Order: sequence, then structure tokens, then C-alpha cells
Amino acid sequence: MAEAPASPVGGGGSHESGGEQSPRSTVREQDRFLPIANISRIMKKALPANAKIAKDAKETVQECVSEFISFITSEASDKCQREKRKTINGDDLLWAMATLGFEDYIEPLKLYLQKYREMEGDSKVSAKGGDNSARKDAAGPQPGPSTQGQMGQQGSFTQGMNYMQPQFHNGDISS
Amino acid sequence: MRQAGTYSAILSGGVSGRTGPHSLPLARIKKIMKRSGDDVKMISGEAPIVFSKACELFIEELTQRAWMMTLQGKRRTLHKEDVAAAVMATDIFDFLVEMVSDSNGTQMAPATKSNISVAER
Repeated sequence: MAEAPASPVGGGGSHESGGEQSPRSTVREQDRFLPIANISRIMKKALPANAKIAKDAKETVQECVSEFISFITSEASDKCQREKRKTINGDDLLWAMATLGFEDYIEPLKLYLQKYREMEGDSKVSAKGGDNSARKDAAGPQPGPSTQGQMGQQGSFTQGMNYMQPQFHNGDISS
Repeated sequence: MRQAGTYSAILSGGVSGRTGPHSLPLARIKKIMKRSGDDVKMISGEAPIVFSKACELFIEELTQRAWMMTLQGKRRTLHKEDVAAAVMATDIFDFLVEMVSDSNGTQMAPATKSNISVAER
């Protein structure tokens, strides 16, 4: 009974698991935020060369990025729970971003992952590489190391996410 | 002997290998993910990689939108207030509204100011 008033303003607050009460006190910064130098570098890259960025702006963006991660992760985590899965994977995050209005990020993220996987694939199953990309795709991912179960999801990014047209494989999939 | 060299050339573009191929540290991302909720226990290896790029896109977008606010104010230095104003003006950033407005009472300055100036006229 006494619990109801204790819960804050409601809304999206539920994904903050408690740390919110003491914003700048004891919790170590390096557990809550990404490094400000990295943030700063990315910010500068996004602006014209003559732009200046105040320190307080960097810190605000730093906080916002952590909030962004939590926001997306919570949504993805809910989905996993609904589907009775224990591990949050890349697909879940892409789905959460699309759901929460960040669908513009999906395409660049898929390309990024694609490149990453190609690099991983090259180093692990290089023998299979040059063969026939359409065939490889249709057969699903060449199961790399079975140690990483999640990697079995590989194919689903490029095939299952049909709310976006896959751009790579230009006309390759003619079978 | 750094391992980062193996694929950083392709992935990183200009990141100069300092954080490996990704522009943001994956371990830190994972930590922040775990702080998101008690039920976040297992995270696939690819999830922080997705976030490393997603956060980059997010920072770029937020920064550019904030910069538009800076320019509107005919300034050359991007301030916290510009970030706050960009958040207020952008639907997908709604989840940040509480953060940019309550972290410090003065955050409402841009909006309040314009209200006042309208009222004063």
C-alpha cells in the first residue's frame, strides 16, 4: 500500500533500476557512462570544423547515450521475456530500435554487422568464403564456432527483418 | 601485439584503433546494458557491437539537431541548453525529456525564455 506513492512519475522510468536517486554521487562514473573522450570525438565529427562544444553539452550527451542504451535494452529485454528467451541478441536490439522510432538506424546497423561478420567469417571459415554468396545465404550462416549459440541467428538479420529491403546481395539471389 | 589490427582497418574508418575496431568500448556498453534492469542477465556477443554503432548514430543525430539550435541562437558554441532544446523538439527523443529538464533547474531556459519574451511583448 505504501508502495504506490513511492514509484516516481511513471512513464518510462521503470527501466532505471534504482540508480536514479543519486545522480552524481557514489556510483562510479565508469559504470554508468561511456568515456567522454569518445563521445566528444563523435560529436566533433558530426559538426563543422569551426564549431565549439561546451563541456556541459558533452556531459549531457554522455548521459543521454546511457539513457538511450537503457531505453533500447529494456524494450529488447521485455521482448525476450515475452518469448521466454534468456539472451538478448542483436536482432532484439534492432527490433527494439525500430519499435521505438529509430528505424533509420536499422539499415546502417545491418551493414555494420554484415561487415563485422564478414571479417569474423573470413578469419574463421575462410575456406568457404568466395564460393557463392547466394547459396551461402540460402543455406543460412555457415555455422561457425558452435560455442556462440547466438551466432546461429546470423541469417535472420539479412532475411528475417523484412521491414527493410536488404541492400547488399545486389540481385545475387536469383537461384 | 594488438589484435585490433586484424579488422579495424575496414570497420573503424577513422577511429585509429584505440578502442579496437569500434568507436566505443564494448565492455562499458555491456555494463550499461546490465544496469538497465534486473532481468537483463545474458547478452549476446553481438549486442554491444550493435550498440557501439547505434550509439554513434545516436550521438551524431543528437549533436546535429542540437547544433541547429545553436545556429538559431546565432552562436558558435554548442551548449547543454541546445541539447535540451533539440530533445524537446524531436519526437524520438521523448524518453530523454525528463533527464534534460530535471538534471538542473535552469534547463528549461530556452523554452522559458521564449515564453517570457512572448509574454513581455
